[in-house]
Amino acid sequence: MLTGNVLLIACLSYVALLFAVAFVVDRRARRRPVEWLHSPLVYTLSISVYCTSWTFYGAVGSAARNGLEFITIYLGPTLVFIGWWWLLRKLVRIGRVHNITSIADLISSRYGKSPSLAVLVTLIAVIATTPYIALQLQSVTRSYQVIASEAESFATAFWIAAGMALFAILFGTRNLDANERHHGVVAAIAVEAIVKLVALIAVGIFATYGIAGGFSGIFADVPTEAIRGAGDIFGPRWVVLTFLSATAIICLPRQFQVTVVENIEERHLSTASWLFPLYLLGMTLFIMPIALVGQEVMPAGSNPDLYVLTLPLSQQRDELALLAFLGGFSSATSMVIVAAIAVSTMVSNHIVMPAALKLIAASRGVSGDVRSLLLISRRVSIGVILGLGFLYFHLSGGSDALASIGLIAFTGVAQFLPSLIGGIFWRGATRAGALSGLLAGFTLWAYTLFLPSFEGDLILTAAALSEGPWGLVLLRPQALFGLTGYDPLVHAVIWSVGINTLVFVTISSLTRADDLERLQGGQFVDVYRSAGGSPTLITAGTAHSEDLFVLAQRILGRDPARRLFDEMARTQGTASGLPYPSDAMIARLERELTGSIGAASAHAMVTGIAGRQTVGMTELIDIADETQRLIETSRQLAVKSDQLENAARQLRTANERLRALDQQKDEFLSQVSHELRTPMTSIRSFTEILQDDDATTVEERARFVSIIHDESLRLTRLLDEILDISRLEAGTARFQLEPIDANAVIGAAVNTITGVARSAGVTITTEPLPDGVPLKANADRLRQVLINILSNAVRYNPVDDPKITVRTAMRGSDVHIDVIDNGGGVTREEAELVFEKFARGSRSGRDQGAGLGLPISRAIMQAMNGDLTIEFAPNGTSFFRIRLSKA
Amino acid sequence: MRDRANLQVTRRKMRDRSIALVLVGIVALLPPVAGMALIDGTVAGIPIPVLYVFIVWTALIVGAAALAPALQEQDETGTPGGSDETER
Repeated sequence: MLTGNVLLIACLSYVALLFAVAFVVDRRARRRPVEWLHSPLVYTLSISVYCTSWTFYGAVGSAARNGLEFITIYLGPTLVFIGWWWLLRKLVRIGRVHNITSIADLISSRYGKSPSLAVLVTLIAVIATTPYIALQLQSVTRSYQVIASEAESFATAFWIAAGMALFAILFGTRNLDANERHHGVVAAIAVEAIVKLVALIAVGIFATYGIAGGFSGIFADVPTEAIRGAGDIFGPRWVVLTFLSATAIICLPRQFQVTVVENIEERHLSTASWLFPLYLLGMTLFIMPIALVGQEVMPAGSNPDLYVLTLPLSQQRDELALLAFLGGFSSATSMVIVAAIAVSTMVSNHIVMPAALKLIAASRGVSGDVRSLLLISRRVSIGVILGLGFLYFHLSGGSDALASIGLIAFTGVAQFLPSLIGGIFWRGATRAGALSGLLAGFTLWAYTLFLPSFEGDLILTAAALSEGPWGLVLLRPQALFGLTGYDPLVHAVIWSVGINTLVFVTISSLTRADDLERLQGGQFVDVYRSAGGSPTLITAGTAHSEDLFVLAQRILGRDPARRLFDEMARTQGTASGLPYPSDAMIARLERELTGSIGAASAHAMVTGIAGRQTVGMTELIDIADETQRLIETSRQLAVKSDQLENAARQLRTANERLRALDQQKDEFLSQVSHELRTPMTSIRSFTEILQDDDATTVEERARFVSIIHDESLRLTRLLDEILDISRLEAGTARFQLEPIDANAVIGAAVNTITGVARSAGVTITTEPLPDGVPLKANADRLRQVLINILSNAVRYNPVDDPKITVRTAMRGSDVHIDVIDNGGGVTREEAELVFEKFARGSRSGRDQGAGLGLPISRAIMQAMNGDLTIEFAPNGTSFFRIRLSKA
Repeated sequence: MRDRANLQVTRRKMRDRSIALVLVGIVALLPPVAGMALIDGTVAGIPIPVLYVFIVWTALIVGAAALAPALQEQDETGTPGGSDETER
């Protein structure tokens, strides 16, 4: 005989088993990926958290009351899953790319990481989940009461609620995973999924073959009403229920959690696309037979919601009843765990965190760990959520059929649908549209379905329900504005979802999105195109790595934060220390934090430290639609081809220059050999004469030897000059520059040249500045240049009374030393040429000087940061000018 | 080049089939088409409406299972940027 104590022991050992599974898997997953956990089968089984005790107990009750209608709850999800390619795949991809933690996070993320939207979605989720939790409490309580033959439900329900809260806290909030993935929980849920499927099929087979004797026996004398229900089965209610269940498989927080957040690999979705509908088919195969057999076998007035349990009990099959109880318990607990995790994550990320954020902002220097705050807030929210469920169960009296309670929740979360679908397929959807649509839908849902479910016990009185508030018939909650003739559920769906969609679309079309919203919208709608997701840029500048590190430590924990920052530093090529707070680094950090606390909070926290947020250029391009994208691409192509053309042009110029230099080198070499050849030739011919002893006298010999000596001196000088100029031009010659007085150097140079000048009859006058001329130069080299210019002037002056004037002047920070002679100078064309190597002015006849003096002088001046030029006086005569900077 | 074109056609066909499957499912499982199955009588001891819904359901599952591997492969090797977007 089954008793309450046996049940209690069975439940506790079952829970202990689940814990063991979760614990082992969590520990192994921490060390290395668990192979079988990464299988599509486990993923599919975790999605089957959709089948709660509503399915396990309620579907049979629903089949007994309304016939085949119960099946719509499983047809909607089937349609969504076989069309996975078009919707679920995109949701999963977005979830992965943007580190989405919950449906509230997804919606707020899409609409510019809006905190207000996140709070609204969270509130709706909490309120809509409440009846659903109540449903689980109710079914476990009732099933326990049936076996323990206990009438008092308040205490039982309370302890079950408390136990489940503890269960969910222990399971779901043992730690904070960066990606909100709970491997242990998923494994436990998978086990529970198998238990409930096996239990339901076992009871079904027992009912079908153990009691009724096969399918034909069950359906043999069943009236059509039992199949088609009271009304027209394939009517509006059928359509609405299919729609609601299709919506619920996407929008229920716990379904979003298992399908999108807990998804490890996208390819699992393709298997789940047929395996999950198959699981649903297996779950529902025996619902109808159990309901029909129950109606026939069980005494009139027994609750059809409990047939799964009472049928084996009535046949004294205790072991089957225990299995059935555990199946129901599994369905209820798996739903409660996942829903509690999903909703508490939303509450802590979107309501508690933003509040904590304000406190942190106020005390930035204080180092506190946000993780413990997060954990505590999640645990408290789980308690609160189950408390609300218990309250709902208590207030609504728990008298409703399970299915109708579940449908209230379905309609509640269906309010997310317009914003969600609009958000991922329509760029034009705006935050204002989503906010107003959600608000309108939620209000209408609460007014037409949620509050009436209390039957006058909460806010709306019984009178208000039947006559309308304040007697306003037009406002009757279940016939709003005179819309009658529909089932209350259909009525509520038409109003809430319909108005929600209309308001969402209309307001979206009337409002404009801000930058961040457009960016996020573009990235969500085009998630396949911008794989990898380039997140928002933030203008760095005010960000300090230390602040960001403290923030990361608080949220991720010390070691993970250290690892993350080390990795980012490595990516930036920094060997040690904190990474530089570049845009990419800040975006990366925000993405990592998003995985823990949701997009809105992460964004607010990071921008709180990093300063004003802006959207970067590349992201704006990302927002741009296809045409703009093409324009941008072709613009970039044009830039590229311009750059290529530029490079080609530069190459061509460089090539020409190289050719010119090559030619110059050739010319230089031929000139050098030419210059060397002349003295060499004369040396050779004189030595030949000398070899011929007889032909020469002693005087002649002495003259010839002196010529050979002069010529070899000239050769040496020439070679010295060539060496000098090549050193100067290569830039290897470095002179020591020191402050000197120009007057002293000029005096020395003039003294050196005086002997030559006197013999040539040239008068040299200097006009020194009286106070001295401070210069920065090398005295020896400057003297060399001056001597060179002066000796040129002395040598090549054709007039009868040659005069040379050396004049010094200050021009700003420059010093000019001008060497002026009255020989007429050179023409402008010649001025260009005299500095060429081996060039000689027209004034020079055929005589000594290789034509390297001026090029060397100029190179020396340039090496001393000065210059040597030929200037033209107003009267057309030219003179040399040495320019140097003042000391 | 021709193989590539062929492959693209095959892939597009796969996507078309997956959306066709959903459309067939919606039409077959919702009124008015579903209402046409509301006939008294049983086949193999099972009432026709029940049988009808379960048969359609099974067919959808079989169809989805047949399409899944090809679509999956396409998702992994498909044109970068998500093939369904590029042909909108």
